[in-house]
Amino acid sequence: MDKKKLVIGVIGADVHAVGISILQHAFEDAGFDVTNLGVMVSQEEYISAAIETGADAIMVSSLYGHGELDCRGLRDKCNEAGLKDILLYVGGNIVVGKQPFNEVEKRFKAMGFDRVFGPGTAPETTIAALYEDFGMEAPKTED
Amino acid sequence: MDIRNKKLSDDEFYGIRKEILEQWPTGKDVDFDEAIEYHKSMPETKSFSRKLSAAKKERKTLIQPRAGVALIDEHIKLLQYLQDKGEADLLPTTIDSYTRQNRYEEAEVGIKESIHTQKSMLNGFPAVNHGVYGCRQIIENLDTPVQVRHGTPDARLLTEICYAGGFTSYEGGGISYNIPYAKDVPLERTIYDWQYVDRLTGIYEEAGVSINREPYGPLTGTLVPPSMSNAVAIIEALLAAEQGVKNVTVGYGQCGNLVQDVAALRVLEELTEEYLEKYGYEDVTVTSVLHQWMGGFPQDEAKAFAVISWGSSVAALAKATKVIVKTPHEAIGVPTMEANAQGLRCTKQAISLLADQELKSSALELEKAIIKGETCAIVDKTFELGMGDLALGVIRAVKAGVIDIPFAPSKYNFGKMLPARDHEGAVRYLNTAHVPLPQELIDFNRGKIEHRAKMEKRKASFQMVIDDVYAISKGRLVGKPK
Repeated sequence: MDKKKLVIGVIGADVHAVGISILQHAFEDAGFDVTNLGVMVSQEEYISAAIETGADAIMVSSLYGHGELDCRGLRDKCNEAGLKDILLYVGGNIVVGKQPFNEVEKRFKAMGFDRVFGPGTAPETTIAALYEDFGMEAPKTED
Repeated sequence: MDIRNKKLSDDEFYGIRKEILEQWPTGKDVDFDEAIEYHKSMPETKSFSRKLSAAKKERKTLIQPRAGVALIDEHIKLLQYLQDKGEADLLPTTIDSYTRQNRYEEAEVGIKESIHTQKSMLNGFPAVNHGVYGCRQIIENLDTPVQVRHGTPDARLLTEICYAGGFTSYEGGGISYNIPYAKDVPLERTIYDWQYVDRLTGIYEEAGVSINREPYGPLTGTLVPPSMSNAVAIIEALLAAEQGVKNVTVGYGQCGNLVQDVAALRVLEELTEEYLEKYGYEDVTVTSVLHQWMGGFPQDEAKAFAVISWGSSVAALAKATKVIVKTPHEAIGVPTMEANAQGLRCTKQAISLLADQELKSSALELEKAIIKGETCAIVDKTFELGMGDLALGVIRAVKAGVIDIPFAPSKYNFGKMLPARDHEGAVRYLNTAHVPLPQELIDFNRGKIEHRAKMEKRKASFQMVIDDVYAISKGRLVGKPK
């Protein structure tokens, strides 16, 4: 089976560069084909990269609190661009300040995200969700 | 663009200035003479330069938080709380991320949304949108000096507005606010734009108003070897001094090993003074700042306080002039004002316990000699590449990887140097790439990391680096294998 393709990046005016390169490493190790757009990615850049690579999922990271402003309308733009069923994940410190996560999750799901992850999520958690959503079996580890 | 490390002429400066002040409507409220009068009418207790210089004389360590929200009244409330309940000696105004990228329209949306939802939708204070008079409301409602903290590659309009607005200290620099804060801005551009910022500071200084300038020390805050961040801070201090800046605070981000951190901060202050004198800038006051741990934090607040205390200890033992404080909410993002004040009080307590203690050991002296040797190698090579001109030198040094900052988002960063921790948690060069260290210092670094590899029964590799990045949020300094 072909590898599932992910487009990843940090949205908006956010320049947090460390986590995204670690996520790339972790997703590749987990058997995904990863296009890493790096930091300060616009909605349009995610979408054109997803079209270009035939991506199965767009993974949006946000660490600086403006996630709510930056993510609005992304699902609609995906639909307009013909990416109707593309999987949309968002994760990180996606709102300003400490807020109850179930409320944050509700708001982002209403914006059209399939999965919403809070601060400090380990890459393994996101990888497990990807396996589940793609109906894949987790590869057996060697040790 | 013809860049030289030379004081901008009046023609050059005022030529640029006209355009800058037209970038956003609030620019029209900037009036230099009126701003000088305004600064001179402020009580001296609100002068950042003055408070820092006094603290240096008394060998005191002052405490300062980070803080900023979208709306003026809320921002004042927040800073008053940090001043009164957090016992902050110095205050910040942290600028939001849209303003940092000159996206003032988006900041405007953030302001409107914040009014509408009654919570700050921005991660800082949009000073350009609020304008000169908005800024002055902040200054007038506080008794403490206030600094602008941000991460803005082109900060010229922001500086004009903030200086006219009564702020007396300003963070940033042409390297430190580019490579770690931008993706696609050429270094030539930011060196030139920060010459403008420094020249404006110099013009205020010449008119009798001293504004403190602070190169941003920690860079990416992620495993930056002390000599690399020190070299950048020294270079930015020299570039600022050429434009007429007289009050500089050089910064360093805590790496985690106590001896290395104390050594790094001592060397930074000493070398900055030495280099300034060597290049003929004799009347510059140099102070220092320690940034508490800038990497991932534990979610558990009790554990976070331990990390904060650890950084406070470094600041006190290194006799830093001030310390920038983290909060127990660091793992989550922007803190509440209560959490922010808790971080401040925790810091103040730790500092007061250690205030009269001095760290003295042969290990400290050795570490100082290592950091000094490495830092001078990088700074001197930078001068050499510019054939004596530091502005040209730094542009060439970044291109050549002589200055190479790990984990930086900028595509203009060389990105081949690889750091890792040694067995005791000190940050070393795993691979120096093009960083021009003398052979004996390369050998020293390699020896330290090979020792760790041996202790952990694995090869030194990128996996070690990844383990190190995650380590603190999992409660350890060195990312050892399970």
